[in-house]
Amino acid sequence: MSVRSVDPPAAKTSTGRRVLTRPLAATTYLLRNAGKSIPLTAVIVLAVMLVAGIISMINSIPLSIRVIYNYSREFTGITPRGDAAKTQPILDEIKKKSPIPIERIIVCRTTATVVQSIVGKWPFYIAGLEQNDLQYYLDRQGSKSLEGRLPAAGKPEAVISRPVAQNLGLKLGSELLGPEKDDGFSPNSVKVVGIADTERWVMLTSIEYLQDFHFPPIDIGILCAPTPAEQSKLDLWAEKYFKGRPVAVLAYHQVEKDTNDMFATLYQILNVVIGTLVLVITTMMGMLMNIYQSQRLVEFGLLQALGYTKKQLLSRVVIETVLVVVFGWLLGLVAAYGLLNVAKRTLMDPKAFALNVLDPVAYAYSIPLPIAILIVAIATVVLRFRKFDPIGVVERRIV
Amino acid sequence: MLKVNSASLVYQDQGRDLFACREVSLEVRENEFLGILGPSGSGKSSLLYLMSGLKTPSSGQITFDGKPLSGMDDASRANLRLKEFGFVFQQPYLLGYLSAIENVLVAQPSGGTIESATDLLTNLGLANKLHRLPHELSGGERQRVCVARALMGNPRVIFADEPTASLDHKNGVAVVNLLNDLRGKGALVMVTHDPTMLERADRIVRLVDGHISEPD
Ligand SMILES: Nc1ncnc2c1ncn2[C@@H]1O[C@H](COP(=O)(O)OP(=O)(O)OP(=O)(O)O)[C@@H](O)[C@H]1O
Ligand SMILES: [Mg+2]
Repeated sequence: MSVRSVDPPAAKTSTGRRVLTRPLAATTYLLRNAGKSIPLTAVIVLAVMLVAGIISMINSIPLSIRVIYNYSREFTGITPRGDAAKTQPILDEIKKKSPIPIERIIVCRTTATVVQSIVGKWPFYIAGLEQNDLQYYLDRQGSKSLEGRLPAAGKPEAVISRPVAQNLGLKLGSELLGPEKDDGFSPNSVKVVGIADTERWVMLTSIEYLQDFHFPPIDIGILCAPTPAEQSKLDLWAEKYFKGRPVAVLAYHQVEKDTNDMFATLYQILNVVIGTLVLVITTMMGMLMNIYQSQRLVEFGLLQALGYTKKQLLSRVVIETVLVVVFGWLLGLVAAYGLLNVAKRTLMDPKAFALNVLDPVAYAYSIPLPIAILIVAIATVVLRFRKFDPIGVVERRIV
Repeated sequence: MLKVNSASLVYQDQGRDLFACREVSLEVRENEFLGILGPSGSGKSSLLYLMSGLKTPSSGQITFDGKPLSGMDDASRANLRLKEFGFVFQQPYLLGYLSAIENVLVAQPSGGTIESATDLLTNLGLANKLHRLPHELSGGERQRVCVARALMGNPRVIFADEPTASLDHKNGVAVVNLLNDLRGKGALVMVTHDPTMLERADRIVRLVDGHISEPD
């Protein structure tokens, strides 16, 4: 049936001009009424771009938290509570009791500074390690190479990773901690002597320096399992094993959970906002479609009088609508992707802020838009056709 | 071929029955030019809608080749209009986004008939305006495109409802003559209030108050 065909076949007359042999193909109306189909498509494109863009940007906040604290995937942290002298006995106990193999136990000290995020400063820990643990720790964090060198024992020196250097604008020789710095205080000016090439966020100094100049005097145990799977098991085992005892266990999945909890309310608000946006845009599109279809009543009446059935005309309008909505939606996704890439390159990357330009959740959030628009548009047309009398058109009783 | 048997079309007017057509009986014969003449409000358009299956009679029956139109479903009636009937309306309705020739092709959706559409438009004096959009044509030219559309596919009955109403007398006569000359084997049923348009008609019936005043 000709009116259902989407692609209008064309032929040439003796005068050589292109003629559509099936002039009622769905694309014909859209292409020859660009003044109507372009604004309709544009509204959908903008709406989809807006929704996918907003969600991606918001999602970049928890994503940043995960990215910044990703380093803790590599170990299970153990700290005694109340009694600083307990670290070694606890670690000895773990060595004996752990059912999961442990590749290495590192003893460290920490002090805090901050990193930048799109929502302000976040705390970040500088770990002080023994000389023979420094390279191991960097390797574990995926370091491919080191520009400069490792910090010497007891010296005010630090090694940081590439994202940290970008985020804080540090180079070799820059000051990481210092007596003038509120956020990263140290009685000496701690200089960057090495930059490790890894995606992970890392700040390291020597344990001796922290022992000599920093509080609190608590040694922290870092348990490294041979594989990521075993690391997760070790996390769970340690949490269970030390439950009720004065021992703090630090594991990556806690970061995940805390992040999710932190953003639960924000996402609820976001859902309401997006829901309202979908409603507003859908209503607007419904009204637009209604106006456009009203302008075509003469066409529909005429075609019905000539011998086309309501069903044929309806399916033609449905195909037209589906084409506009699906095309608009896809174009909107592409536009969102483009916009996010620009935002990533100009706003996020220079500060090493995380942003996923292909965030599946963000793109999924845009799906209700085309569906709602499609339903409203088709319902509008169906209602119009239900009480539609072609005679009215032919007799010019309706325009 | 097309028979109207005592058909009435009743409208409700403030609770009273208003007969747009009252027990009309007539037959359209193969290949004839039938004129239906009547003043405004006499029910000419109503009769045409009944005959073409666009309206269903309140009583009585219309048959085409012996088959009652009321016995068909909407799709078959629509198909009958598409395949066997042609229409020229009072106003030259064309689809504004289609060229003249494409508007003609709308009447023949099975495609592959560009030659016949070109021939028709050429015979109607529009050979060099095939690709014009309706707004680039004069009223008379538009109505001639409508004539071509009605003739497309060689329908067996062509219905024309005051096809000359929007034209001056000279152009009106020209359109009627073209319809008559180009209809081939099709019958032409034309309603009008203007007897001069029916000079070439084989037969004329008069309609007064929804009723045929003189038996044919
Ligand atoms: N939808 C309707 N509701 C009520 N009455 C109607 C309706 N359509 C037509 N009528 C009435 O039916 C009668 C016949 O109308 P019809 O349109 O068939 O006349 P006509 O002969 O075609 O007139 P004209 O030459 O002005 O076009 C008129 O009295 C008109 O008022
Ligand atoms: Mg009339």
